[in-house]
Amino acid sequence: MTTPAPPPASISLSAPGSLPAFPPLQASLRIAPPGGALPLQAGDWAFVFENAGYLLGGAALTVALTATSILLGFLAGFPAGAIEVYGGRYTGGLVRTVGVVLRGTPIVVILLFAFFGTPIGSAFLAATLGLGLRSAAYQSQLFRGAIQSVDEGQLEAARSIGLSRLRAVVHVIVPQALRRSVPGFQNEFTIVLKDTSVAFAIGLAELLTRSFDLFVQETTAVLEIILFASAVYFVLTFATNRALDRLDRRYAIPSGESV
Amino acid sequence: MSLLRVEGVSKSYGNERVLRDVTFGMDRGDVEVVVGPSGSGKSTLLRCVNRLTEVDAGEVYLDDACVTAPDTDVDALRRQVGMVFQGFNLFAHLTARKNVTLGLRRVLGMDAAAAREKADAHLERVGLGAQADSYPAELSGGQQQRVGIARALAMDPKLMLFDEPTSALDPELIGEVLGVMRDLVAEGMTMLVVTHEMGFARSAADTLSFLEDGRIVERGPPERLFERPEHERTAAFLGRLTDLHGGSADRSVEADGRPDAGGESGPASDRAGGTSGADGAGGP
Repeated sequence: MTTPAPPPASISLSAPGSLPAFPPLQASLRIAPPGGALPLQAGDWAFVFENAGYLLGGAALTVALTATSILLGFLAGFPAGAIEVYGGRYTGGLVRTVGVVLRGTPIVVILLFAFFGTPIGSAFLAATLGLGLRSAAYQSQLFRGAIQSVDEGQLEAARSIGLSRLRAVVHVIVPQALRRSVPGFQNEFTIVLKDTSVAFAIGLAELLTRSFDLFVQETTAVLEIILFASAVYFVLTFATNRALDRLDRRYAIPSGESV
Repeated sequence: MSLLRVEGVSKSYGNERVLRDVTFGMDRGDVEVVVGPSGSGKSTLLRCVNRLTEVDAGEVYLDDACVTAPDTDVDALRRQVGMVFQGFNLFAHLTARKNVTLGLRRVLGMDAAAAREKADAHLERVGLGAQADSYPAELSGGQQQRVGIARALAMDPKLMLFDEPTSALDPELIGEVLGVMRDLVAEGMTMLVVTHEMGFARSAADTLSFLEDGRIVERGPPERLFERPEHERTAAFLGRLTDLHGGSADRSVEADGRPDAGGESGPASDRAGGTSGADGAGGP
């Protein structure tokens, strides 16, 4: 800050209701991009394409991290959702509390904790743990809602033919709940995919981290690099969403209208 | 030896006493119809028999095995007691056939081929052989309920419980379900039925119970309850119900394609052992 703040005395002397003088505007303009050149330029695009392999390597890591995180999120989140519905007071309460803590903590904080606060040395494993557990906390709510949306009569009918509670849940409730959770799962998938970019904070060389490496090197190409990375994120989210749409239609429970 | 004995069963939900000291018994092959105003405890009574609801006091015995004892294997018990629900409760994600095979495979441990064969035979029995591959949402209410009956029957139960099996159906679909139930009566199945279908009660039941405020007010052969009820409440209730639900005494006869001239229905001969020609329409 170049302009010194006015002395306190000047405030007390000013007319009632008037504000203390602010620093002049050009002071805040100092954070303009280095070099100041934002417009897209052919040379910068050439730089992007020269380094496309490097960026796509980062995209591969993004995909891998999404897959491991979603998988961990599902493996922990689905049972957690079921325990919230069917568990007893203590197990259910414990799972609920862990979920509230995870959902209430910023993802960057979770990742920093997973990397620096645990003995895990690999940034990839730490990112998987952080993103996976956070996703589990959200997926548990997705599945809890889906399980609770299945009519109670389904469970009663299953019990009435002699199925145990566990078998009734496994064979009658879970298959219906899984189908109902596909649309919500699509959202979760998209969110996790995009949130892998936060692994930037622990230096994992995924797509956004590599983008940053490049535009630090070639500061005029920031916009081009970011646009390229965005396009990759878009292609990935679009493709997985269409794939999940197909899954949804393939396994949809027929409704009366389809006849 | 009676197949089912309900002894002094009471049940409350909070301060509301749904069942008060209910006692009755059924022999093998008996058809018992329970009627009563809504909220009188009919459904709760049925659910206490297969322990979908736990009793507060009293005992239920099936073949002299105590159903209500804390150490009873409820899953083993329920295998022997079929239940048909008002809302059908078919497994929505499974075809008609798989609705039936689920219990055969996962409860009785049958192999896939045998389960499929048995399921198809039971679907055929309720007239739905052609709908085996349909999903519940693709079937009419009457067809769904018949799948529900097939699902329960396939487990070879000793006793069938029907909880208002036709109350959720459009009037023109009631007949097909009652028709299947009549076939079961003819085959000698032991049935405990909660229904408002007075035609069915009169012609198919061995015993009719009138339940009100959680008590059996009156119980006896249907002819006697309809024609010489001992309690005024019984007379008033049965009369009103017959006006509403018994206009054509036997809708299953219509479903069979036989004319039903204003209630003078076909012969009662579909009842094995016959309960005389009490099939007439109209109330007392």
